[in-house]
Amino acid sequence: MRTVAGIGLRSVHVAEVIACSPSVPWFEIHAENYLCGGPALRSLERILASYPVSVHAVGLSLGSAEGVDRRHLRRLRALIDRLQPMLVSEHLSWSTAGGKYFNHLLPVPYTPEALDRFVENVQRAQDGLGRALLIENPSSYLRFLESAIPEPEFIAELSRRTGCGLLCDLNNVYVTSVNLGLDPDAYLEALPGDRIAEFHLAGHCRNDADGVSVLIDDHGSRVAPEVWDLYAGALTRWGPRPTLIEWDTAIPALHVLMDEAQHATSLVNTLSARAHALAG
Amino acid sequence: MPSLAEVQASLAEALLGSGRSDVAAMVAGDGVAPEARVDIYRHHVLASLTTALRSTYPVVRRLVGDGFFGYIAHHFITARPPTGPCLFEYGEALADFLERLPACGDLPYVGDVARLEWALNHALHAEDAVPLDLDALRSLDPAHVDGLTLRFAPSVTLLSSPWPIDTIWSANQVDADPEATVDASRGPVQLQISRRGDDVVFRRLAPAAYTFRRILLEGGGLSRAASEAAGVDAAFDVIAALHDLFTEDVLTSPPDTSGPGEPV
Repeated sequence: MRTVAGIGLRSVHVAEVIACSPSVPWFEIHAENYLCGGPALRSLERILASYPVSVHAVGLSLGSAEGVDRRHLRRLRALIDRLQPMLVSEHLSWSTAGGKYFNHLLPVPYTPEALDRFVENVQRAQDGLGRALLIENPSSYLRFLESAIPEPEFIAELSRRTGCGLLCDLNNVYVTSVNLGLDPDAYLEALPGDRIAEFHLAGHCRNDADGVSVLIDDHGSRVAPEVWDLYAGALTRWGPRPTLIEWDTAIPALHVLMDEAQHATSLVNTLSARAHALAG
Repeated sequence: MPSLAEVQASLAEALLGSGRSDVAAMVAGDGVAPEARVDIYRHHVLASLTTALRSTYPVVRRLVGDGFFGYIAHHFITARPPTGPCLFEYGEALADFLERLPACGDLPYVGDVARLEWALNHALHAEDAVPLDLDALRSLDPAHVDGLTLRFAPSVTLLSSPWPIDTIWSANQVDADPEATVDASRGPVQLQISRRGDDVVFRRLAPAAYTFRRILLEGGGLSRAASEAAGVDAAFDVIAALHDLFTEDVLTSPPDTSGPGEPV
């Protein structure tokens, strides 16, 4: 398993990746952009010949009360069978209701009923895909009044009951903590570290809502210093995991993403060396 | 306590519904008005889907102006939200929607330009197809050839318009001559949109060739396609038309001569 940092593959960088074979340990792709034929999939298969790939899905809507869309699950399975990715991940969220797809990772009320439904949907998805999923903590902008279970406990219980792994997005932990008044260190402390199989890192921005500053998870800038600190803390607490730099809006040149990934890799190396020195 | 389905229905209504939603009453404020928290999600849903439509319809956007496109997109997204998570499949209904908008009345061709952009988007993402092997034709039984049906590649769309939508499209590309003008009365046009290798291409067809291909694309047999094409143009040459069709990479898989109603 690659413990050094990869980057999200974006269409504007595809030609450069194929032409220049940059030194990137692995790429993550968004599944829903490749459930088709044509040049996008052909380019991806060329990249796949030289790099490990992780598949990140956004459309299964695992938190939906109405269950998982079987057609989407079948299409995703076909892609995964074709790509044989090193990891497959989805989100602790929902995005479909009443036949409408919202193209957003919407918040789940953390109730026993929602947990049961989420467990059922993840089990169905894992059965349909023939492999375990990693589930990612979302960025949140609201908390439902009826949410009785803290998010990290909800995630831990989900993992215990379904066997799913976890994708810990440290930017999301930070954004959610600021927006909902949580302590990010306490949040991480409550996660089952042995279930975490991947980290995500991304940038966020600051917006105004009702005169109050809120953080928006826009994946449109470099990773914030506070999030690097959380990442360093996570590495110290749990050790390295495959780590991904995400960048989805105002996408810069490929070397900027590689630079961020290199910073993550150097943090891993520094902290590992320090751990070895302490152990010695 | 509301059920999961009730919470989701309420938030869904607030995001892309009439606006009459009770979801704010289910949300903790924590120092920010619950409505403002819901609005963050609502804003993102509209903004991200508008971005998807902008990327599928760059020429429509240019024709109506970016600001007005945003207004149209907002109304379209609310009226016809996506039904699935692949955004390259979202927005086919925009052409009909534009044609019903009174504000687009002075751009009578905008609906057909949207249909052309949708056909280009469809061709780009269509499933790959194995081009028809010309050797397969040699094995055809001449007794069945009148009822021959042909299978087109999934990328192919045939489009006819009273307006010269291909020249309108070309004149609105970023690298087009900004001084060039298009005579909107220089229609009608019949177009074929397809993908050749990795390239999406479109070209004009003569009216009879368009009719010929349209009937074949809809699953009609060769003899009906040929006779209707001859009705459009008495000089229609079926052999030449078939030759063009077979050498253009728009057909796929072996021809099917076992259709219903054919001699056995």
